[in-house]
Amino acid sequence: MDLNPYFVSRQIRNNRAMPPIIQFDHVSVCIHEKTLLSDISFDLFAGEKAVLYGKSGSGKSSVLRTLLGLNPLTQGSVYFQGKPLDPVSIQAVRSRIAYIGQEPILGAESVREALLLPFQFKSHRDHKPTEDQIVEILQRLQLSADILRQDSSRISGGEKQRIALARGLLLGKSLYLLDEVTSALDAESKRAVFEVFSDARLTVLSVTHDPDWIERCDLVFELEEGHLIKRRGRAEHQSF
Amino acid sequence: METLDITLPRMALLYGLCLLPWLLLWLIGLRLSRDIGISILRMTVQLSLVGIYLKVLFELNDPWLNGLWILLMLLVADLSILQRAGLKARYFFLATFTAVASSILFSTAYLVMLVIQPALYYDARYIVPLAGMILGNCLQGNVIALERFYSALRKNEKEYETFLMLGATRWEAVLPYFRAAIKAAINPTIAGMATMGLVSLPGMMTGQILGGSEPWIAVKYQIAIMICIFTSTAVASVINLKLSLNIAFDGFDVLKSEVIEKG
Repeated sequence: MDLNPYFVSRQIRNNRAMPPIIQFDHVSVCIHEKTLLSDISFDLFAGEKAVLYGKSGSGKSSVLRTLLGLNPLTQGSVYFQGKPLDPVSIQAVRSRIAYIGQEPILGAESVREALLLPFQFKSHRDHKPTEDQIVEILQRLQLSADILRQDSSRISGGEKQRIALARGLLLGKSLYLLDEVTSALDAESKRAVFEVFSDARLTVLSVTHDPDWIERCDLVFELEEGHLIKRRGRAEHQSF
Repeated sequence: METLDITLPRMALLYGLCLLPWLLLWLIGLRLSRDIGISILRMTVQLSLVGIYLKVLFELNDPWLNGLWILLMLLVADLSILQRAGLKARYFFLATFTAVASSILFSTAYLVMLVIQPALYYDARYIVPLAGMILGNCLQGNVIALERFYSALRKNEKEYETFLMLGATRWEAVLPYFRAAIKAAINPTIAGMATMGLVSLPGMMTGQILGGSEPWIAVKYQIAIMICIFTSTAVASVINLKLSLNIAFDGFDVLKSEVIEKG
């Protein structure tokens, strides 16, 4: 069986029997009389890798925040696995999504505590990872196990981003919202991150300005002043 | 033993003492004459009014009137807490009132009915000053709890959101700020109890001794009031913060900006 991520994701996309993992249906978001998103519609199927790009303030990060229920909808609907996002479903939705921002907050003093932080919460308490699992994930992201002993305030921005990614991977989440996660990474670390997220089981909706990252995505959505102005599949995007 | 009255000429002499700090402040360039004057005037007028209505309250000693007076104190305290904590009263009025009223009424009733046991449990000489003292301290604690909690939440918004994204419930995500706010609210009372009698003689005890009470009785009353202050501050702060969570957040666990006063 061909496990090429692109091939697999296209297969999934063609299989319309499954509802999209994410669906934005004519979504508009206005906060304090400022329009952040205007009539945005798109969908994303399981296994696909999508990227949002556009100038600063074009609404890329707002799409991610809206999906996480952090921006109230002015109009339209957001669906997660075919079900509308609402106060009842939001915690279950969040527990399926890993969000990693440009400047991730680790929320604990040491790196080890930061990695284990989510396992203090009721939703993950019974799934605490073993030491071997932690070390394996760190190695996949080009991080040494020694980093576990370090103070989380003393590690570099790139290391912070990879620790936040590792935390998401340890939680075994299937949907990853990545906001400029390669911005502080060197070429080697970036390759390691690409490698991890090429896994066909993972769905990725990312925000980036990085041409290498955009090149590797199946779907490209271009935003301008809150409007979705262009969408391209991988085939049309090869020359990007 | 009767307490010596201070005659009006001697009161005037007392006000004269303020000239010393006023002069000192003026010499170092602090122009606070207006503020000092207004504060002294307000204190004089407000306490004179208190003197008049307490006299009436004590003479009538009617349970309904005493209850009404405590209710009025609770309402004023409620508005004062919310104003000083920077929260809008139209959203939090009921939650704060419920928390503060329940803890004050419980601790005052406990103290008066079970511990002091006066002939009349509604005796204004006991319930009005005791409830007032407990309420005054409880008010400070609640202002600190609410203000610290919502400031910390706004300051650490990204961290709070990160906790939510990592699978925390709203309660789990706010817990670090909740604990810190409650600690800040009760710390002054805990520190006050630890140093009481060493650093200063507490006001109530001093008042009782001046009023002719035996020092040992004054000590027992002071201990009683401190325990009630501690209890009501801790209980009211926890209930108040917990009730406020249902008002301050939307269904998606996002802090509503409209509930916080601007500025």
